[in-house]
Amino acid sequence: MKVFRRLAYPYILWMSIMIVIPMLLIILYAFSKEGNDVATLSFTFAHFIKFFTDPAFLNTLWLSLRIALITTIFCIFIGYPIAYAIAQSSIKKRTFYILLITLPMWINMLVRTYAWIGILSDNGLINQILSFFHLPTTQLLYTDFAVILGMIYNFLPFMILQIYSSLAKMDKSLLEAANDLGANRWQRFLKITLPLSLPGVISGITLVFLPSVSSFVIPKLLGGGGYLLIGNIIETQFITVGEWNFGSAISMIMAMIIMLSMYVTRKFDKRNTGNKRGDLS
Amino acid sequence: MNTLIQFKNIVKDFDGQLVLKGVNLDIYENEFVTLLGPSGCGKTTLLRILGGFLKQSEGQVIFDGQEISEVPPYKREVNTVFQKYALFPHMNVYENIAFGLQIKKMSKDVIEQKVMKMLKLIGLEGYEQKNVNVLSGGQQQRIAIARALINEPKVLLLDEPLAALDLKLRKEMQYELKKIQQEVGITFLYVTHDQEEALTMSDKIVVMKDGEIQQVGTPIDIYNEPENRYVANFIGESNIVSAIMVDDYKVCFDDLLFTCVDYGFKKNEKVDVVIRPEDLDIVEVQDGKLTGVVKSVLFKGVHYEIMVETVPGTTVTVMMNVTREHDIVNEEAGEKMSANDFYVDIEDVKDLNDAEIIARADAQAWNPESDEYISISKIEYDILEEVGTYPVEFMTSSGTSVTINVMVVQQQYVENPKANEAISAFNFFKTVDELKESTAIDTDLKTWANAQGWKLSDESIVEIESVEYDFDPETIQVGTYKVTFSTQGRQFKIHTTDVSEVGKEVGLSFYPEDIHVMSKKGY
Repeated sequence: MKVFRRLAYPYILWMSIMIVIPMLLIILYAFSKEGNDVATLSFTFAHFIKFFTDPAFLNTLWLSLRIALITTIFCIFIGYPIAYAIAQSSIKKRTFYILLITLPMWINMLVRTYAWIGILSDNGLINQILSFFHLPTTQLLYTDFAVILGMIYNFLPFMILQIYSSLAKMDKSLLEAANDLGANRWQRFLKITLPLSLPGVISGITLVFLPSVSSFVIPKLLGGGGYLLIGNIIETQFITVGEWNFGSAISMIMAMIIMLSMYVTRKFDKRNTGNKRGDLS
Repeated sequence: MNTLIQFKNIVKDFDGQLVLKGVNLDIYENEFVTLLGPSGCGKTTLLRILGGFLKQSEGQVIFDGQEISEVPPYKREVNTVFQKYALFPHMNVYENIAFGLQIKKMSKDVIEQKVMKMLKLIGLEGYEQKNVNVLSGGQQQRIAIARALINEPKVLLLDEPLAALDLKLRKEMQYELKKIQQEVGITFLYVTHDQEEALTMSDKIVVMKDGEIQQVGTPIDIYNEPENRYVANFIGESNIVSAIMVDDYKVCFDDLLFTCVDYGFKKNEKVDVVIRPEDLDIVEVQDGKLTGVVKSVLFKGVHYEIMVETVPGTTVTVMMNVTREHDIVNEEAGEKMSANDFYVDIEDVKDLNDAEIIARADAQAWNPESDEYISISKIEYDILEEVGTYPVEFMTSSGTSVTINVMVVQQQYVENPKANEAISAFNFFKTVDELKESTAIDTDLKTWANAQGWKLSDESIVEIESVEYDFDPETIQVGTYKVTFSTQGRQFKIHTTDVSEVGKEVGLSFYPEDIHVMSKKGY
């Protein structure tokens, strides 16, 4: 056993260098004054105060959370029926459908998002079709709609795969038992399938909400230059403005929000899939 | 009793493979019916058709006077206890049992009353708030039964419900299930492959095989009056003997005539006779209807299981000529060659061809340096269909040759009319090395001597049970050895509380009603 444990050392070293140390640095930056080097470090809350007292930042945070929430809700309602349909199909077809779902992920996200610009722009595919039928064209690109659409498009596969895997591993005899006990298809779905697939939905939510709340590429491309989400602000602080300390502070705030939301969903998850009243023994 | 369920000519195929081949079965109210058979016999398929999870390819299912093939499972008045229980993991014991009633939208207090009554019936009071995932197999089983019974079905379907439990618990649950069935007074349709389970619980047993019903009857009927060899073998232990029904009440086996209680067969019809091991008694030789020698005595706890051979097996002895290494060496070509003399039956001469002769003579040529085989390119022989000795020459392309003798003989075989069998074998030649290299000497001796046994009546193969010889293949020398092949004799299995000694000559006694004659039809 000791030999095996020793095999983990390089991995631990790698993790420390690549994950733990950068995170510690972010915390260090977030709580230290501008222009400090490590030797003359001085501690401050100023960056956090700055963020929480400026309504512009708070509005951006609110917008980010709202967009992410809307994306997640849409992903659930679009993803669940698709996952359900895949899980119902024959095993041969399943593999094919799963391939179809994962296929776009083989192409770089940036390229796929650029493609949407072509579709949504004023002279893009949709507007051309509209004008072909002599319908009024409309501004699609650089709107909330475009950003949410881009996010749904990019993150939907994660939701589908998570829900699908929890549906696929469900014991079919449970469904037969529900039928046998008098439940019709709809009752069976509500009482058995849905509650048992919730863990999949929960992990789907985590996988969709987290990247969409901190995404900066999609809002930048589909929302336009002036469209700011919290991810864009962090990016600007680091790359354009050069205020690494403030950027680190916002990153930390985001990390806290994400951890909090994960904690809440996990709690919700446990309450639903574990035993509600039981666990006495 | 009223007929509750009628299966009428049920046929079911899965992708062209017939699983049920026209099943007709009536099930009455209040019956404990068991579908018994090995896996793949179609018993679970029949159950699932009644449950509504499968649809038959042909035939009708009449339930309470109505054809129900188009009725979906949730509208049928049947409930199922699934093999792996299929309890809902996200619900506690109470919610699991109450499921069916909640679907029916019964009022809360009625549900509570009924659930409590069910918990009492299955002896799990106080467990209502428990998580079903932490319960033992036996407890989960009971909850599955309660969950089904609470809906007050007319039939409860049970699909091997005890298969996952250990032996002791299984026995307990057998009594429990029977008790529950009598208490609630509904029909239980039970599927199992365990004959003991079926005998213990059922009012009616349906023995199935390959999608067909073999016999329907009470446990006592099925045990005492099996309809054919298959049923007799499947239910309990039995001695099954081929016999001839000479006349009504007269059956002949082992060359002896016995009185029995069976009638209605054709004169001299070939039949199977079953005698249960516990119906045979070991007595003194002069008092026995059959006599034999004790072959083995096994202690089985409650009784001894004694095997008595009433008809000895058939035996043939042949000579094995062990010769020295006789490889022919061709130094120039760098080749070695070998072949054995062999015997052949005069009737088989016409079947001899080059390949057959090479195989029988075990003719080989090889390069001693590289150990590679060299093909034999030419065989010269002139074997007539007359008794005699004929030379055969094998040659390779580089001119190495070996000559052997083939002895055409009249085949000797031993007939044993009493046991209805015959056995034959040939003398043969082998080298010391071949014997030493053999890893499965018994099988090799059978092959080398071409030892065969067959039934006199229909020439079907009779297994050669034992090979006896008095040499040690590891240390064998050149010479001639006897090898004896024999078939297994007729053995009877006896269950008795009296011990006996191996090798003792004993008599077997039984009553005419212990002989049960079965038709050979289909088997």
